[in-house]
Amino acid sequence: MKNKKEKLNIKAALTLATTALLGCNNLAQAQTPDKDTWDFDTAFLFYSEVDRVSAGEAIFNAKKTFENDEVLNLKLTVDALTGASANGAVAQPTVQTFTRPSGNGQYQVKAGDTPLDDTFHDTRVQFNGQWTQPIASNLTASGGLHISNEYDYLSLGLNGNLAVDFDRKNSTFSAGFSYFQDTFTPEGGIPKPFASMLIGDSNAPTWDDEFSKTRISSEDDKTTADILLGFTQVINRRMLIQFNYSYSTVDGYLNDPFKIVSIVNANGVTQDNIYESRPDSRVKQSIYAQSMYHFDSAVLDISYRYMWDDWEIESHTIDSRFRIPLGDSFGKGSYLQPHFRFYQQSAADFYRPFLVENNDLPAFVSADYRIGEMTAITLGLKYGLLINNGNELAFRLEYYHQTPTDAGFDEIGVLNDVDLYPTIDAVIAQVTYSF
Amino acid sequence: MSKREFELTELPDGHSITFNAMASPCEILIQSVDKQLANRIGRSLTQEIWRIEDKYNRYDKHSICSVINSKAGESVSIDQETYLLLNFAEQCYQLSDGLFDISSGVLRNAWCFDGSDNLPSKTNVSQILKFVGWRKITFDQQQITLANNMEIDFGGIGKEYAVDRAIILAKKITSSPVLVNLGGDLAVTNARLNNEAWHVAIERPNIDGVLEDNTKQDMIVSLKQGALATSGDARRFLLKDGKRYGHILNAKTGWPIDKAPRSMTVVAPQCIQAGILATLSLLQGGNAEQFLIEQDIKFWARR
Repeated sequence: MKNKKEKLNIKAALTLATTALLGCNNLAQAQTPDKDTWDFDTAFLFYSEVDRVSAGEAIFNAKKTFENDEVLNLKLTVDALTGASANGAVAQPTVQTFTRPSGNGQYQVKAGDTPLDDTFHDTRVQFNGQWTQPIASNLTASGGLHISNEYDYLSLGLNGNLAVDFDRKNSTFSAGFSYFQDTFTPEGGIPKPFASMLIGDSNAPTWDDEFSKTRISSEDDKTTADILLGFTQVINRRMLIQFNYSYSTVDGYLNDPFKIVSIVNANGVTQDNIYESRPDSRVKQSIYAQSMYHFDSAVLDISYRYMWDDWEIESHTIDSRFRIPLGDSFGKGSYLQPHFRFYQQSAADFYRPFLVENNDLPAFVSADYRIGEMTAITLGLKYGLLINNGNELAFRLEYYHQTPTDAGFDEIGVLNDVDLYPTIDAVIAQVTYSF
Repeated sequence: MSKREFELTELPDGHSITFNAMASPCEILIQSVDKQLANRIGRSLTQEIWRIEDKYNRYDKHSICSVINSKAGESVSIDQETYLLLNFAEQCYQLSDGLFDISSGVLRNAWCFDGSDNLPSKTNVSQILKFVGWRKITFDQQQITLANNMEIDFGGIGKEYAVDRAIILAKKITSSPVLVNLGGDLAVTNARLNNEAWHVAIERPNIDGVLEDNTKQDMIVSLKQGALATSGDARRFLLKDGKRYGHILNAKTGWPIDKAPRSMTVVAPQCIQAGILATLSLLQGGNAEQFLIEQDIKFWARR
């Protein structure tokens, strides 16, 4: 006879084996008519930063699995963005005047306020198509196309991926690449790096000539090539881990044509605003580890990403989700999923919140808070349930709080009295329906 | 093959759907007066149950089971569902230390449990035992290869699996309480309305002495959730020199398990779990009850 402890393991092991056999993911497979039909996902997302940008997004995803396990996935995303975005200049104790990126008109920013350019409104339409098919018993290939278009931006991309399974499909190794070609045609053209933002009477007859002197062309482009290596391992019936490494090189026009940098005097008073200048290449690498663990009913998903690049930006991301099934009294198949994300990033080596006059100009400079030092947290909650014979409806509400921090720059004169690193708060609401 | 039809009967607070599958009388109960819903449940669930029967019935020469057996020695491609079932069988093999083995069906060629005293010869059994052994089977997600002359048989898990599949399907279609009973192996989706238990009649266990007696009254079991399955058949045995040989065979020796209960009925969250626990307990012979008690499992044994 075996001892009692081993026997108890039999019961637990059998529960696991049963879950593996009857798990929901193989449910559709046995209901034969499910092949050759389309699955649709729709999602509406609303993102709103306090006093800044608001975005609405609609996603429509269609997926079809064919007889031999080929999968076609088509995804259409439409975004609408409106609101204001920080232009990079520092706040001042006086009213400031800036020229709109188009050159058509100017806007004023109140004393003490972070300068925001409120002319942001854009609609983006994005299409992704992906075809995946098994090409040998343990080999799956996938290829896709990407087109994204907005008023002043066009992005074209393609990707390919190969995945090899081994150890009875408990391990998967994948290698992929993607290539993007983006073209930027901002209204008002591409500003000349380090050129001073022209301020004055935009109705003056000489204005257009003067403005065009701050421009270098009407459009510019960049290319992005990514390589992604991945390894997924099923540890046991409850646990799965994944590791990714990615290498990404971006070449071409990497500036944000709407961003400027303030040049202040020894008292911290702005003397000039110049257009930013970034290097024309960037090499990014990242490693990513993810672990999913199935408890008896709940699922825990934790991931960590470390990213570094040759702009000296380093970032750490910890992301975790915990899916807790609720009883059917909260809705059929209902669940609650808390979400926590922590993000921390160091500043790019050419990031400067402002420049001081009479000092040598650096080779590159940007005051864009997005490449400055910061931490951010996201707290969210998702609730999902099944309606109408197994279609999933889910609601997600998240709060995002970003805290830009001082990477060790001395604040001089009047800059001590203004907020150079304003925090950003945003709310994200999403509704998803799958049918 | 039995007739592929079901019969719908109205009950005071629901409907009963009766049909034949897997060589057993079967019944689905739904506690809903919605006749259309009952019909839909009947159609969907019987379709799924018959699909599984057709796919894994060893006696149906078109079944994947027969194809695998007839091509022993060659590799046969399998789908995900079959892979998962084989995987489950593998787990059971390991958990039972090789006592439970879905390749042990060929021993049937030596043993005929007809109540007589016709024991097979030791040579006969050991001849056939050469073709038994899960370890001689290789499989992965795409294919399976049996050694020559081997056979596999999903009989030990197929019916219970069909019960569980039918329950999953029923839950997808309706939140009304449903019970699926395939020849005594059964499960429920949830408690009846107002959290009342289902009352299920099973053959009365623990009857001492002679079988087939006239005291064969049913026993009523209450079930609010989960499943119930019975392993063993009290009527299948051999009797020689006063020693009873039950039909539960040790896959490692090819001989009946000594002192095994005649049948075992077990309650578990899923039917396939209940069925395997019942079978594994029988394979413990005289320790069958102890095996289940130690694991805090509710059961009824028939000795």
